[in-house]
Amino acid sequence: MKADDATLARLMALAQDGDAAAYRLVLETSSSWLRSFFRRRITPDAVDDLVQETLASLHTKRASFDRNRPFLPWLAAIARYRWVDELRRSYRTATDALTGNESIGPGDDELIARISLDRLLARLPTGQIDAIRLVKIEGLSITEAAARCGQSEPLVKVNIHRGLRRLAALIESE
Amino acid sequence: MPPTIDELVADLTPVRRLAPGHAWALALALTVLAVLAVYALYGLRSDIMAGQPAGIVVLRAGALLLLGCAALTAVIASARPGVGHASHGWRWALGGALIFPLTSLVIVLADRRMPMDELTSPNGPWCLGISSISALAIGTALTLWLRRGAPVALNRAGWLVGLAAGSFGTFAYSLHCPSATIPYIGIWYTLAVGLCALAGRLIVPRFLRW
Repeated sequence: MKADDATLARLMALAQDGDAAAYRLVLETSSSWLRSFFRRRITPDAVDDLVQETLASLHTKRASFDRNRPFLPWLAAIARYRWVDELRRSYRTATDALTGNESIGPGDDELIARISLDRLLARLPTGQIDAIRLVKIEGLSITEAAARCGQSEPLVKVNIHRGLRRLAALIESE
Repeated sequence: MPPTIDELVADLTPVRRLAPGHAWALALALTVLAVLAVYALYGLRSDIMAGQPAGIVVLRAGALLLLGCAALTAVIASARPGVGHASHGWRWALGGALIFPLTSLVIVLADRRMPMDELTSPNGPWCLGISSISALAIGTALTLWLRRGAPVALNRAGWLVGLAAGSFGTFAYSLHCPSATIPYIGIWYTLAVGLCALAGRLIVPRFLRW
């Protein structure tokens, strides 16, 4: 099933009322959508866990879905929150990056662009983006990242710290 | 290990949706309770009791209520997140409320003397104490309500809970407050609301993490 926002919103409303079949569709579609959302924004071996954790958060916080609003911006806010949390918690080793795009519903391209993780990252200064991308997403060490982006090691650490703090404050921004 | 989709579906039960009206009712009911407590313990200003409140009293009460409502609106919005849905109206209300400390500063600069009467006013500590206690009750209720939601910007949510609670708590005190000069309001009310907001930022996020 494709991630059509209006359909997902209707299904989620049914799920809030206890409709298990609708909920399964929401979760399966969200799972596929999240896999695409997180791809290349975190090391590939961490994607599955992050998707499952985000679905668990969706489950725990399903009362907070407002059925008068679109579904994907709500899911994206939860996904961004889990993503920033994951970046903060973990230090991943670099592995091969995957390529490819998950299919999305027609007409959702603009919405997807507005809620994407790239859009969130783009709100940071270049130095912070480089530090986070190299260390937290590509899995380089501080030393390797410093050599790659031309920042000193202390500056890489400061940029990661400040960047993650700023990302956490910007989760709902477009 | 995070739960699988099958486990999440098996765990599904109908859920009571988060109702913004509950947060409004909670905050307003507790504000009314705070006003009643201030009335019972300390009494309200004589001009209010006479039904002829001074203009400055109405002005400061209105500014505090406006700020509290704007911050509360943002708190409620933060409980139901969505990319592109952040509520920023509270910034304008805060800017409006800052007219009191800014005017105080202008008065001090124009007079070229510190407002010692206001700084050493015996009412000041009462202002802080009563406002903070009222804000504690309101802020606790808002935090408990917010925990049912999914706030994603925890620090901002903490600031806003403190700001809303501090504004409503200080409003309750303002109906008793014997002082009605601009410098007094600029110093003590700003301090009361500011400290409550700071306490919200420091305390509330740890209860909201999910």
